[in-house]
Amino acid sequence: MQKIMVALKRVLDYNVRVRIKSDGTGVTTDGAKMSINPFDEIALEEALRIKEREKGVEVLVISIGDLVCQQQLRTGLAMGADRAVLVQTDQILEPLTVAKVLKVLVDQESPELVMLGKQAIDGDNNQTGQMLAALWGRPQATFASELLIKGEQALVTREVDAGLETIEVDLPAVVTTDLRLNEPRYVRLPEIMKAKKKPLDIISLDELGVEAISQFQVVLTESPPERQKGVIVKDIGELLGLLRKKGLV
Amino acid sequence: MNRETLNFCDQLNINVVEVAHGIAQDASKYLEYAIDSVVARVAPDGFINSQLLETNQHAVHSLAWIATYVEVLLRTSDWADCLDRENRLGDLDQSMLVVIFGEYLQQLKNGIPMNQVETARPVDLGLESRVAECLSSNDIAQLENISANPDFRLAAVQQLSEREFESPIMGDETLDLVREQFRRFADEKITPHAQTWHDKNDLVPLDLIQELGEMGVFGLTLPEEWGGSSLGKLTMCVVSEELSRGYIGVGSLGTRSEIAGELIASSGTHDQKNQFLPGIASGEILPTVAFTEPDFGSDLAHLKTRAELVTRSSGDSVWRIFGAKTWITHAVRADLMTLLVRTEPEERGYKGLSILLAEKLRGNEKHLFPSEGMSGSEIEVLGYRGMREYEIGFNGFEVPAGNLLGDAPGQGFKQMAQAMESGRIQTAARSVGVARNALELGLRYAIDRRQFGKSILNFPRVYGKLLLMAAETIAAREVTYFSAREKDSGRRCDLEAGMAKLLAARVAWSNADAAMQIHGGNGFALEYSISRVLCDARVLSIFEGASEIQATVIARNLVNSRL
Ligand SMILES: Cc1cc2nc3c(=O)[nH]c(=O)nc-3n(C[C@H](O)[C@H](O)[C@H](O)COP(=O)(O)OP(=O)(O)OC[C@H]3O[C@@H](n4cnc5c(N)ncnc54)[C@H](O)[C@@H]3O)c2cc1C
Repeated sequence: MQKIMVALKRVLDYNVRVRIKSDGTGVTTDGAKMSINPFDEIALEEALRIKEREKGVEVLVISIGDLVCQQQLRTGLAMGADRAVLVQTDQILEPLTVAKVLKVLVDQESPELVMLGKQAIDGDNNQTGQMLAALWGRPQATFASELLIKGEQALVTREVDAGLETIEVDLPAVVTTDLRLNEPRYVRLPEIMKAKKKPLDIISLDELGVEAISQFQVVLTESPPERQKGVIVKDIGELLGLLRKKGLV
Repeated sequence: MNRETLNFCDQLNINVVEVAHGIAQDASKYLEYAIDSVVARVAPDGFINSQLLETNQHAVHSLAWIATYVEVLLRTSDWADCLDRENRLGDLDQSMLVVIFGEYLQQLKNGIPMNQVETARPVDLGLESRVAECLSSNDIAQLENISANPDFRLAAVQQLSEREFESPIMGDETLDLVREQFRRFADEKITPHAQTWHDKNDLVPLDLIQELGEMGVFGLTLPEEWGGSSLGKLTMCVVSEELSRGYIGVGSLGTRSEIAGELIASSGTHDQKNQFLPGIASGEILPTVAFTEPDFGSDLAHLKTRAELVTRSSGDSVWRIFGAKTWITHAVRADLMTLLVRTEPEERGYKGLSILLAEKLRGNEKHLFPSEGMSGSEIEVLGYRGMREYEIGFNGFEVPAGNLLGDAPGQGFKQMAQAMESGRIQTAARSVGVARNALELGLRYAIDRRQFGKSILNFPRVYGKLLLMAAETIAAREVTYFSAREKDSGRRCDLEAGMAKLLAARVAWSNADAAMQIHGGNGFALEYSISRVLCDARVLSIFEGASEIQATVIARNLVNSRL
């Protein structure tokens, strides 16, 4: 193993109370705290653990977005990544375009492993990793909760509906991460200082030769309906009565 | 600007940020008159007359508080201006600016509570006519009116309950990253245990201290060549604030390293730096500050513990210490004391004092002070536990001759002054952390507790408390950050640091007190965190320069700037 590539998406911090724009075109991010998508952070943590176990591995972090995404890349570098690349664009990209961008970078960098979150907590698409594997023509192991590198193979435990499934994939491969894979480290202050000196390259989307395609359109964004007040019932009979009245049984 | 929710100022078509800026300038003029008034009282002959300074103490301290309030107006309007320029000024920020201006202007005009029993009024300085001149503009009246408007206040508290639990964002990549890490650390590793540590009077676990050392907390501001991170005081503030928001006992660990580190880095010899700084930076050497004595607290310059230079039969020279220190925090565990002693017995004032870098053995529950010539006992305390405080007696305790800080006898007081500036900034930041903790506990409880069929947050007397608590927390924070920025840009900032410490300590206490009131009876139960936070908050205006001493330092500074 020589190189691991990790994709980091900038998203609204999971602690922020999301507010919908009054015109329904999306959510407001002005002045709100932004972070690395938590699943991607887990992917990076795992890559760093592999790097610490097997000497000589380079960890490369990638982000796609406008210049402010450098902040998340710097965080990645401070966590321990060696190098960062920002693919700069003002557009909001759909999963397929993101996968194509990653594919171009994979061709340039030839990593043995590409790691990314199973989904981003903003769009919840859960597509990019799978699409990348298809474009690349390499195996994929999604929803990883355990990862073991054994020479030319990766042993991946996956969280599936029926429980845990362990599969073996040939490297190079794409692994997408689930919540229980690890707990990301705290960044240490000396590492923050070191990160300032690590390389962070910026390439524009055009330079990469990838065209952003739009296959869907956001029609309306709205808050989920307020939760209705519950009622306390005396017994099963009353419960069934109420459910019947609502036409639920 | 963000216009997603009801925005009063927009509706009234006034630009609060601009208005606030103008008002802060007017208030600065008022401060100039206040300084004039005190100069006339205490320095009629062109120099400060100590007797007059003391006789007029209430007026003198009133000046310190007026200056602190004007500083708040200046710093918070700068803060809002900066947010506005970066397009990050939200509704809550604007509301907070209105609340702080509305309230602080009223207090400037009618009386500033220096504490619950002493008020600084214009009449104390003969400034009644200046109030009319500087503090009665239409702009001021307009902000005061908005701030008092019940609809505005209701909208503001709505914003507060939605946004308050988020981290403040400073718009600086490094600082925001640092804050995020330490906030998470506090949420995961400190807050869940703070109440137990307090109840059981536990020492903060050593493995937590080790982890903080690895994260770089103790060498934060030390130069990289000595194992530090060369980060500034502003970063130190952010870290101290976040850790203290979890528990003051953890947020205060770094105070000792900060003071010892600064003393040695700025006044130590090369050998002393080499010997101590890397260990302080990593957390392997735990330092403590040993200044206070049973008979000399605020009046440190006259302290009596003495050090005598003697040559042992082996030929090497040592300092032998005789006397007593008290209130020494973390003393049992400490490896190194920055010990303020009298080395020049013929000098009775500050000129006879020196600092020794006194190494000692770590003690344990059975043998508190195993080092030869040293004994002591624990002082049981209301709050601020986690490190414990001790009284220590010295009877021939020895320190190698080479451990005199900077090899400079009689310079102790001067060396201390600079380090205390950093200590005060750090203490202000800890106070801001405690103030935030209290605010969050009060807000959470007010949202959850229902009386008369609704959440008590809906009652004006409940949310009125929370609004000012939140606004004053921002005020204390901005004044603190400003003093740190001044220090980082290489300027002396004892004035700013003093104001930050003075205000932040009062805010921590008033926030804790108001949050306890919001908790009703439950707040008085040991089980609820606010009961601990109240005890912890109380000490902040006592140590690192009691508020009364702080006020004198501030006022002296202002008067001196005129002479
Ligand atoms: C929890 C805790 C931890 C501490 N940790 C340390 C430590 O690690 N190392 C250390 O060296 N010290 C430590 N201290 C000591 C602390 O710095 C002193 O308590 C403080 O300096 C005040 O001194 P004092 O207690 O002797 O009060 P005094 O000086 O006796 O003051 C009593 C009161 O009188 C007021 N007063 C005194 N002089 C004047 C004046 N001229 N004008 C107006 N008012 C005046 C004071 O403001 C105060 O309100 C700690 C104290 C506490 C409570």
